[in-house]
Amino acid sequence: MAQVTLSGIRKRYGSVDVIKGIDLQIHEGEFMVFVGPSGCGKSTTLRMIAGLEDITAGDLLIDGVRANQLRPVDRGAAMVFQSYALYPHMTVADNMGFALRMAGVTAAERSAQVGRAAETLRISHLLERYPRELSGGERQRVAIGRAIVRKPKVFLFDEPLSNLDAALRVNMRIELCRLHAELGATMIYVTHDQVEAMTMGSRIAVFNAGGIEQVGAPLALYDRPANEFVAAFLGAPRINLVSQPQADGSAAHRALWTLLADGRPDRVVRVGWRPEHVRVVAADTGIPAQVVLAEHLGDTSILYLRVEGVTELLHAKVAAGGPHLQPGVRIGLSARGDTVIGFDQHGCQVS
Amino acid sequence: MRGLRLSPGMAPYVLLSPFLLLFAVFGLFPLLFSLYLAFQVWEPTDGLAAMHFVGLDNFRFALGDAWFWKSLRNTVWMALASGIPQHAVAIPLACFLQAAFRQRWRDLMIGAFFLPYITSTVAIAIMFSSLFSTDFGLVNLGLATLHGLPGLSWLTPDHPIDWLGRPENIKPAISLIVFWRYVGFNMVLYLAALQTIPADLYEAAAMDGASHLQQFRHITLPSLRPMIYFAVTLSVIGGLQLFEEPFILTGGRGGSDQAGMSTAIYLYRMAFDFNDFGAASAMSWLLFFMVAGLTWLTNRALRPQGPAQ
Ligand SMILES: Nc1ncnc2c1ncn2[C@@H]1O[C@H](COP(=O)(O)OP(=O)(O)O)[C@@H](O)[C@H]1O
Ligand SMILES: [Mg+2]
Repeated sequence: MAQVTLSGIRKRYGSVDVIKGIDLQIHEGEFMVFVGPSGCGKSTTLRMIAGLEDITAGDLLIDGVRANQLRPVDRGAAMVFQSYALYPHMTVADNMGFALRMAGVTAAERSAQVGRAAETLRISHLLERYPRELSGGERQRVAIGRAIVRKPKVFLFDEPLSNLDAALRVNMRIELCRLHAELGATMIYVTHDQVEAMTMGSRIAVFNAGGIEQVGAPLALYDRPANEFVAAFLGAPRINLVSQPQADGSAAHRALWTLLADGRPDRVVRVGWRPEHVRVVAADTGIPAQVVLAEHLGDTSILYLRVEGVTELLHAKVAAGGPHLQPGVRIGLSARGDTVIGFDQHGCQVS
Repeated sequence: MRGLRLSPGMAPYVLLSPFLLLFAVFGLFPLLFSLYLAFQVWEPTDGLAAMHFVGLDNFRFALGDAWFWKSLRNTVWMALASGIPQHAVAIPLACFLQAAFRQRWRDLMIGAFFLPYITSTVAIAIMFSSLFSTDFGLVNLGLATLHGLPGLSWLTPDHPIDWLGRPENIKPAISLIVFWRYVGFNMVLYLAALQTIPADLYEAAAMDGASHLQQFRHITLPSLRPMIYFAVTLSVIGGLQLFEEPFILTGGRGGSDQAGMSTAIYLYRMAFDFNDFGAASAMSWLLFFMVAGLTWLTNRALRPQGPAQ
């Protein structure tokens, strides 16, 4: 258990600034998720915390001690890699005990600790196998087990679930949350999957292009995103962004804008409207729109809607829509409650 | 035209026939003929009719022949003295090149180290005879220079060394040349194997607290094991058939006191100098069994372990 502080962290490869100054405080026992599109620098940041990459500038503090120059093992961090990185020529038990062996722990003590970790992860029956004799999910557990055995101060995960199939991914998500509750350890978890971020994190840091856009609890970010990027990144289907119509905008567009932006400050030039807040009503009562595509998922339906004069299709997530909501059908739109988010010309939220 | 067309069933054999023919004439026939000869006495100058069957006499003769045993000892000595350093140097060298150089420079270094392997043995032997020459060779010149330096005189000889003339120097000199010639080849093999080891294994090991030396011991060496097995097997087979280097450096005779006479040289002389083709064939088959046996031992010792892939 430890707290990790990043202040002014930068990373530069040659002449390319990859991380452009990150300040972040990760509390003791917290499950912090780094989320963001591919290539935005999440892994690089994690690897700088791990000690696998040099820190170009800034300070990394672990439990208040500057760790920039410490060797990975002295930082007390354990990492789970996306590829698992299990040692192929060692059995599961040897894989999990390798760190202890390097630390000079006796064989008997090693096997006791490995045994305990294996029990926690329910992989005791796999200890004598080699990695290539395991399924993807089992390898994943072994990789996590290898991290647990060392009793690290901080766990680092780099997209650990992205090689698993969907069902297994949900299971491992639950498992990791259970593990976090059980160990109470500080965990930093990198993912590009916003569902993982929303469901697992105590707090989320949304990365974009080498910086952090916003940090906060999942629902706080969802309900009150600091800017359009965060609003668009969290939530599926994506939030609808509706721009202010030009003077010559269509009647439907202007009606939509009035519906969504009425009574907001003049600075607001764009509004965010979550798909689940879009209400479908009879064609003659709301803003006129046409269904372009309907995805009926059973419990809900996702509608892709065209409003005349609005360039982008609007997404609506409605309770199971029934077969009458088909491509080509004309409907009306209205808003559900006062849940629209306003943005100024720089994309920042206006409250 | 139609009559000349190949049937699909025949085409592969017809297309392979040049190779099959060459192999039959220059590979299979000599093989079988030497097996046959091993049980015959034959004075080749008297024609094919002069052969007659003698059973195991040739083998009995070979096993009782002091020079044959001496040649085996020479061969094993030189195979070990050139073979072990080849791998002991090639593996760390490959790791060093892998770690220290970018792709382009690495390729250049690989080329330099590989050059001896593709150079003609004759050229190499001539070059080393002049390097090792007693009075004007660079090796002795270098030693003499070192001897002149303060503090080094006790380490280096005070007179020129007769590298290729004195029996006790011949085997080390030949081993050095063989080592020099094949170390680059082995290094290329190991470098290729190193490039297949995933980088994240090293990162995981670093996170687990392994030092560079421990990473070498616990990640690199086990990952190289299949390649070590392959390369050592090649060295065993090649080392036991050692012929060209000692043959040229000792003028085809094996050197003074037969110190540089490998088994391959001895059986060549047995056939072409002493005209005893039967005994030479028997010896070549004994050598073959030795190569096969040692290859099997290598296999037992170094074969990749763990469950089947
Ligand atoms: N060793 C490197 N050399 C140069 N650029 C790199 C290196 N590693 C990563 N990058 C660049 O840094 C950026 C961030 O990468 P990364 O942290 O892996 O992103 P992600 O958020 O997908 O994990 C990417 O644009 C990538 O191209
Ligand atoms: Mg990444």
